[in-house]
Amino acid sequence: MRALRRAVVALGVAGAIASALRLVVRQAPPPPTAGGWRELSGPDLR
Amino acid sequence: MSRFAVVGLGAVGARAARQVHALGPPDELLLTSASAARAEEVRGAIGGPARVAPWDEVLSSAPDAVVLCGAGQPGRAAAALEAGAHVVASTDSLSDIEELLGLAAAAEGAGRMLVVGAGFSPGLSCVLVRHAAGRLDSVEEIRVASSGTGGPACARQHHASLGRPGPEWDGSAAGWVRPPAGSGRELCWFPDPTGAQDCYRAELAEPLLVHAAFPSATRISARRAASRRDRLTARLPMLRRPHQEGLIGSVRVEVSGRSGPLAESHVLGAIDRPAVAAGAVAALAAHWAVEGRLARSTGSAGLASLVTDTAGFLRQLAERGVKAAAPVGAGG
Repeated sequence: MRALRRAVVALGVAGAIASALRLVVRQAPPPPTAGGWRELSGPDLR
Repeated sequence: MSRFAVVGLGAVGARAARQVHALGPPDELLLTSASAARAEEVRGAIGGPARVAPWDEVLSSAPDAVVLCGAGQPGRAAAALEAGAHVVASTDSLSDIEELLGLAAAAEGAGRMLVVGAGFSPGLSCVLVRHAAGRLDSVEEIRVASSGTGGPACARQHHASLGRPGPEWDGSAAGWVRPPAGSGRELCWFPDPTGAQDCYRAELAEPLLVHAAFPSATRISARRAASRRDRLTARLPMLRRPHQEGLIGSVRVEVSGRSGPLAESHVLGAIDRPAVAAGAVAALAAHWAVEGRLARSTGSAGLASLVTDTAGFLRQLAERGVKAAAPVGAGG
């Protein structure tokens, strides 16, 4: 029973730390896609 | 003799003062700030016709245009209009913008123009909406998204906005609605290097300003990029002091409608340091107000209503280093 209680506490602490880390640590950026952006110039600005 | 005044010399105000000078040096440029040291620093950087003046002196000197940055813009706008100046207000606070739009009668009575929300977002975003809409015969939906912040005041405004609902126009149903802040998660693609960001509803003023220019649009919405931490802590005080100046910011507008029988959608964006872009937009709006290049010469409105020569406005902004962009390929 004690071991089970310790396991539950350990899981709870691990979960709390993981949640806190997710708030602080940035996620990896999404993978690049095709295409991009071009500046407006010339005919775009007439 | 041309006389401009810039009130508030934070991240946006300092840039606005430099741009007012660079766009065609006025005969006199009055600088007002709560910090005398800051005002002197900006005056020294600009030189020439710039001089530090208290607010009372600005009003009594009857400037041609006053650019308002920082706090207390509605009150100062009313006073500046009474003093006979065109006013450009750079605030992005929804409550301030609502108050400023309420000064329309005062502006018309004074025979002057009050330009509302002349910053990065709103401001440049409104001009981009107008420019994109110019390629359509009728506009049905307008979506605006923004990312990034300028100086500390902008960062606080960004933080607070994520905890309060903002207006959204739904012409097919109830008209103005206020969905919960932090809802409506949408992945928006901004110009590189910002790229894709999760954006959420927030207390944003664009729908209010843009609707005045496009009242027949069925749907007008705005989103703001936010991290998980931003959203969870939005209703709490800021947990750490904001940076003196934010990093790169972006805006993206998507305007959908019809061009003849075809349904089309046009996307435009811009990327810059928000305070730099906001200063340039505010300064350019002030010069255009004085030169009579805005669509109206009296009243109170945003740039979506006032800038009809969007190509000219964007060209001049590009000369000042603030450039609009359009997506190519599959990235937009």
